[in-house]
Amino acid sequence: MVDNKQQWKAWLYLSPAIILLLVFTVWPIINTLRMAFLEGYSAQAEVGGATFEFGIGNFLKVIEYKKFLQCMQNTILLCVLTVPISTLLALLIAVALNSIKGLQKILQTIFFLPYVTNSIAIGMVFAAMFNIVGSFHGTENEIIQTAGIINNVIEFFGGERVNWINAGSQYWANITVMVVYIVWNALPFKILVLLGGLQSINAQYYDAAKVDGTSRSRVFARITVPLLSPMLAYVIITGFIGGFKEYTSIVGIFGETMGPPDAPGRLNTMVGFVYEALENKHQGRASAAALILFVIILIVTRLNMRFGKKSVYY
Amino acid sequence: MTTSKKNIVMREKDMQKVSAQQKVVQALVKVGVYAFLLVMALIVLFPFYWMLISSVKTLEEYRMSVPTFWPQKIMLSNYVEAFTTANLGRLFLNTLYVGLVSTLLSLVITILCAFAFARLEFKGKETLFGLMLATMMIPGELFTITNYQTVTQLGWLNTFTVLIVPFLVSVFYIYLLKQNFMQIPNELYLAAKVDGTSDIKYLCKVMIPLALPTLISITILKMMGAWNSYIWPRLVANDAEHRLITNGLRNAFTETTGDVNYPVQMAAVAIVSAPLFLVFIFLRKYIMAGVSRSGIKG
Amino acid sequence: MKVVLENLTKIFPSRNKKSNEEVIAVNNFNFEIPDGKLIGLLGPSGCGKSTTLYMLSGLQKPTSGKIYFGDDDVTELATEKRGIGLVFQNYALYPHMTVKQNILFPLQNLKGEEKMSKEEMLERAYYAAKLVQIDELMDRKPNELSGGQQQRVAIARALVKMPRILLLDEPLSNLDARLRLQTREEIRRIQKETGITTVFVTHDQEEAMSISDLIVVMKLGVVQQIGKPQEVYDNPVNLFVAKFLGTPPINVFDGKIKGGKVYIGEDAVMEVKDAADQDVIIGIRPEGFNLDENGPFHCKLENVEVMGRDVSVVSTNAASLNPVIRSIINSDNKVNTESETVRYSIKPHKMFVFNKETEERIYFEVK
Repeated sequence: MVDNKQQWKAWLYLSPAIILLLVFTVWPIINTLRMAFLEGYSAQAEVGGATFEFGIGNFLKVIEYKKFLQCMQNTILLCVLTVPISTLLALLIAVALNSIKGLQKILQTIFFLPYVTNSIAIGMVFAAMFNIVGSFHGTENEIIQTAGIINNVIEFFGGERVNWINAGSQYWANITVMVVYIVWNALPFKILVLLGGLQSINAQYYDAAKVDGTSRSRVFARITVPLLSPMLAYVIITGFIGGFKEYTSIVGIFGETMGPPDAPGRLNTMVGFVYEALENKHQGRASAAALILFVIILIVTRLNMRFGKKSVYY
Repeated sequence: MTTSKKNIVMREKDMQKVSAQQKVVQALVKVGVYAFLLVMALIVLFPFYWMLISSVKTLEEYRMSVPTFWPQKIMLSNYVEAFTTANLGRLFLNTLYVGLVSTLLSLVITILCAFAFARLEFKGKETLFGLMLATMMIPGELFTITNYQTVTQLGWLNTFTVLIVPFLVSVFYIYLLKQNFMQIPNELYLAAKVDGTSDIKYLCKVMIPLALPTLISITILKMMGAWNSYIWPRLVANDAEHRLITNGLRNAFTETTGDVNYPVQMAAVAIVSAPLFLVFIFLRKYIMAGVSRSGIKG
Repeated sequence: MKVVLENLTKIFPSRNKKSNEEVIAVNNFNFEIPDGKLIGLLGPSGCGKSTTLYMLSGLQKPTSGKIYFGDDDVTELATEKRGIGLVFQNYALYPHMTVKQNILFPLQNLKGEEKMSKEEMLERAYYAAKLVQIDELMDRKPNELSGGQQQRVAIARALVKMPRILLLDEPLSNLDARLRLQTREEIRRIQKETGITTVFVTHDQEEAMSISDLIVVMKLGVVQQIGKPQEVYDNPVNLFVAKFLGTPPINVFDGKIKGGKVYIGEDAVMEVKDAADQDVIIGIRPEGFNLDENGPFHCKLENVEVMGRDVSVVSTNAASLNPVIRSIINSDNKVNTESETVRYSIKPHKMFVFNKETEERIYFEVK
């Protein structure tokens, strides 16, 4: 079947894509490796005629860098918190949605809504909901004009208001806000995939379980979850990959300061670190950090898959 | 195997009691499920509601210590102010232009590529496709560093080109469309060949119409991508002439905490969000179909 | 355990909202299934046989009517309380569990007094597995088994909790022809050994006839005839039953009764008593023809198919409602294949006469 005419035709059709991929994908892979392993590399200096020694200095610098460790801690913390919470919530919602008839379509649409949003824009809405207008705590003449709707709700239920994102706020409060926002943002995709998975499970399994008098919780644990395991593995893996690349949702809530006004950069992530290094013209360091991020994602995906093989049936 | 002793025949009364109990339990479970779903739906919807009502409040009302859940006075002027403060009109046009051009070019490239992979035989086909799929594993940040240098050297900084060209090829869309093309029986292609139909004509007359749902999904996701892109545009084209909507929004309202004019900010957010919602309402089916396969935003 | 169906009716609301046509899946079904028998529910698709089975299982609720297991009214009782075993058409084996886990699953659900120790459960599981001869496959997963083996696992899973009644939905439809023969014998054997009242659904009349103690023939939700397979075959109450049972199928003709004689076309094939003159439809089983040089029924000979023990004579007649007439003749009888015509006499007990309008059987005595 391989004739010459088909050959050159195929390459002709592929050529635009291949050229673009060579320039914007293949070359960057090579160049990133090169830059990462050249000591203190800077593109501007190179243009000026400087040469760089081969070495792993960029990696050492990145790892020694306190800021980077902070970024890594933030990223991992957000991943570890948001992936399980959002997966579990999405699973419960999908199972509940799958079990009802009335209102199913409209509820399904509502749960999908957060997906079609701009994460910067809606981040600003969340910021408004958590924000306190006025000066907060500390001084005698404390003026609080509005504590923000979330604090209003907390106070309504008899709780204490919290300084979530303003100057003087605690790290854990910032993280809580981020977790809420990221989970809210991550739910639609997970619900969509899991509900699709549930709907493709043969109803006869449930009939068979009913004939045998299986309790609801047992049906969930022994039939639904195992049969859904490929989908669960999929949303968990994509969740971790997305989580390690978290950046814009933080910009949405805290702005480019990546933290409350008195602690800029406190919530920066690994991707944020890469961009910061890039803006400061430290291409070598940025490349090293990006490679570290890539390796971490690779390892986490592998671990997930290995763990998945044990728990994903058939 | 006789009927076991444990299966003692239940008497009629017991049975009626059992079935009445079952009904109560079933009803309770149903109420619980609906309650859970409705509460979750309210939580999901609340930010949208808060955005909308805040966007029409006066600043004084917004700052009241006891929040109002329905605005006392509807201030549509917030929207006018938002539109002019952030120069939203210009941002809209820029984003629309970049979105349309990049979608069109991207579709052409994707279709040609998918056709070659799905229908033509050539040396190294499997290897090439495998390599392309492998690049999907790599986080985009890794490319950005070099791409920034490349576009700088090409003199593309602060142009529309820089917003369009680097992202024209999406391996994922090629993969999606290739799968779709492969479902179309090869006999159709061979029949067209026998009739002397050219590739391009066959592509336009047979394959594209049959793969239309996928193409629509790709179009929408690509447009949404332009609408939501933030990092790259901020890096390479953050001047007033070429700025895209998300950056414009973030630039115009840098403050997120403290004493901000939230009603106007919320109005701006509502304006930016509206097109996405409209698209969603009319094309929900295609968006959901595309998203469930991709797992990526835009 | 005997099972009684009393005026059992199931009506599905119409799917199309515009038309208000309801579908009557099962219409006023009355039947007492005797204890320990194997019952075949038989009919073409859409006849309500599966719906009946699902109502017995409790997975579907009847619109009206009652179901009794023994003397207990179970109409409102939930599936799991009925103590039934159900084998699904596609077996519905849990793909993520081994054979052993699949069979153990129903036992692990038991609660309270019925709860069993691990050893007891395993003993029961192995007993059920031995019964269906799969005890050597216990650690495999369903996708590592052949269709026939999966079928056995499904039966073992249904039997393991010692159900009062065993229900099988099209148990053989997913098997190839050879396995089907083998498995139906197996089902018969297992049913005999356990003595559990068993109801199975099929659209294959041969399958139903070969293993059932009683068959129930259904059409469009209405029971046509209930009886022992041979009785129903020998004595169909209407044209539908006559046509549905038997391979090759019954030959049908346009005919009439006139002056005490039954005519097919112009040939008076039989003299009868006490039958009013009328137009009728006549059915003759393939084995109901005798080659007879002086026979009253003339046909045009088309060809002769040799089948070993028998020969199948294919002929045509203007009055035939089928394209060809097929008769099965003992191969000892020589058919003159050169001849253009063939003449038959008809065996009276193999010929049935039906009213042309109602298609109900017309009974008469042969002179």
